[in-house]
Amino acid sequence: MTVAPPLSSDLYPEPPAPLEEACASEPRDMAALLLFALSRRIAGDRRPVLMTAPRVWFREHGRPYGPGAAGVPLILAPTTTTAEALWALEQALRSGAVALALGAVDGASLAQTRRLDFAARQGEAVGLILPRRLDGLSAARRRWCISTRGSATDPDDPRAPGPARLVAELVRGRGERPGAWILEQDDETHRLRLADRLAGDGLAAIGHAGAPSGLAA
Amino acid sequence: MRARRPASPPDPALDPQTPFALVLKNSRGAAILHALNPAARRAGLRRGQTQADARAMIPHLICKPADPEADARALTALAVWAGRWSPSVSLDPASDGLEGLFLDVTGATHLFGGEAALLAQIRDRLAEAGARARVAVAPTPGAAWALARWGEAGGEGVIADEETVRDHLAPLPVEALRIDQRTLAQARRFGLKRIGDLYPMPRAGLARRFRDGAGVGLVQRLDQALGFTGEALTPVRPPPKYRAWRTWMEPVEDIEGVAARLSELAADLSAPLLRDGQGAKALTLTGFRSDGGTSGLSVRMGRAGRDAGIWLRLFREAGLGRLELGLGLDALMLTADEVEPMTALQGVLESEAGTKQAESLAALIDRLTARLGEDRVLTPEPVDSWVPERAERWRPALGRSPTAANDDTGRRPLLLLDPPEPVEAIAELPDGAPARFTWRRLSRRVTRADGPERLSPEWWRPRPDDRQVRTRDYYRVEDDEGGRYWLFREGLYGREYSGDPDERAPSWWMHGVLP
Repeated sequence: MTVAPPLSSDLYPEPPAPLEEACASEPRDMAALLLFALSRRIAGDRRPVLMTAPRVWFREHGRPYGPGAAGVPLILAPTTTTAEALWALEQALRSGAVALALGAVDGASLAQTRRLDFAARQGEAVGLILPRRLDGLSAARRRWCISTRGSATDPDDPRAPGPARLVAELVRGRGERPGAWILEQDDETHRLRLADRLAGDGLAAIGHAGAPSGLAA
Repeated sequence: MRARRPASPPDPALDPQTPFALVLKNSRGAAILHALNPAARRAGLRRGQTQADARAMIPHLICKPADPEADARALTALAVWAGRWSPSVSLDPASDGLEGLFLDVTGATHLFGGEAALLAQIRDRLAEAGARARVAVAPTPGAAWALARWGEAGGEGVIADEETVRDHLAPLPVEALRIDQRTLAQARRFGLKRIGDLYPMPRAGLARRFRDGAGVGLVQRLDQALGFTGEALTPVRPPPKYRAWRTWMEPVEDIEGVAARLSELAADLSAPLLRDGQGAKALTLTGFRSDGGTSGLSVRMGRAGRDAGIWLRLFREAGLGRLELGLGLDALMLTADEVEPMTALQGVLESEAGTKQAESLAALIDRLTARLGEDRVLTPEPVDSWVPERAERWRPALGRSPTAANDDTGRRPLLLLDPPEPVEAIAELPDGAPARFTWRRLSRRVTRADGPERLSPEWWRPRPDDRQVRTRDYYRVEDDEGGRYWLFREGLYGREYSGDPDERAPSWWMHGVLP
């Protein structure tokens, strides 16, 4: 049983910060996390996306599949050590050659995340760290926790899964209030947009009390 | 002061005064002498003799089995090391490539202070590395071969040029022409002992009489030695068109020294490339160790370039710090193994921003590849196949630009499990969507399902286990917790499975996770 986070009435912070962190609330939410991560590109940015992760990550969760991520040119860099992954992320962000650099990295230190933040500003790119858990200090501007939700209704076939939906919970934001938003994948553009709140998504009412909403920075 | 005692009894085989030979089995299984030390040669033994004969002559001869493969490896390594004197070094093809090296020093001798100085240097360096060598310089490989082996002063370095080569060769025995035993015996029968004896002979008659099975007759060998016929040599490494190298009196013993000299070399190399409008796509740095070994490091680039600063960075990322230095390097060589014409304005049709973007992406891929390795920086390549795991292949990103895939087949998972994982599934109808399934030990109840999407087997591609390739029915399903999965059933009830106990029942597989 998942605890539904309170839905926020604040504006969904769609423009990405240079460095953000996001984790899947459960292992099965990894595809939703990846979809969310790909949506954190600056709109209209056609530069490729680099993803780095340990080899075991790809064995466990599967490999990113081009036809399922249509319109995203991908570069994959399987690494063996955290240092290697952080180095690859920093190089990619600083080069200005990629729109987004994703890294399934655990245990990055505050200094290391600061370097990434700086590199991302330099390359006008977005860096997204995908750790297993959100703990420790980080220079990331926002920390997200992603979980899958039941899909929206498919207007053509009510028995089929409709457009993908997920809950993006902002656990910590610098200068922003924590909150949660339901996002839905647009069939045409493949991007995420705020789901229509009135459509009935089976979630608890807005302002559900008692859920951990993380620490405000 | 204490006298040093040997740690073990002296090995008689190592004593140069003891006759010693390496033996090899010939095709008939008889042991024959393959190599001899000077003491054995002085005792009157010669190569090709049977071991039994030799033992009869010298009862205290020590014999050990020869290892021609190890010899060939060692000589090849030496050939690479000899690249310091010539860009084109080849193994002598005679006697199975075990006995000699040809260095093409055309136009390179002035770099070493002339031919005599070069020969002296080669002899000294090889002696330091523990190899005795006989050397000679001549206008043709054949003449050099003859003079190094049969020339006066024991191969101390005869230097012959176009004018003198005839006179230098004349007093040598005909064996020096690289001829086989049969031809040699025949020549002796005719009383032709010295190469000079052949000069006045009518060529047509010689050619008719001396034709051996391999087609390389006496006349051809003579022509090769005198330069009337060319002779192609196969270098151990293809000679690079562009190379820069430097040597020092004092060996460089630390990596920082190597890095400093590498930047000089990079500048040396990039100048001729610039002059010719070329850019390098692959570079090799070769360090020549004073102990007779070489260490190398190569980098590859997706796009041709000649920026020395970028090369240095790539070499650092490819592991310059781990370069084996041994006792120190006394020469460094940087070669451009692959070059490509570079136009100053690349891609006129591309916009300036697009060009800059493509360049920075190529530079990023080069850098990542140099550090992580070519097989760890990948980009998907679409393949014309309708089997999902085969429709996309991950290829090294070096030299290609990542492209976005098109999704025209319907909804595909974002994460693909390759290979698919087996799933226990229960369906309400045998050929319908699953109602429940267990994947990775968790049971899930299906609330919504979409399918089937039927993918026919690629029957022309047999499975490695030789089993029948069967149809797949794909379903997109959603479970009661909101997870979305991509499952398929392999095998059709009815057409591909009739319930026969010999047949495999259709089975369920998890192939990917949808967002």
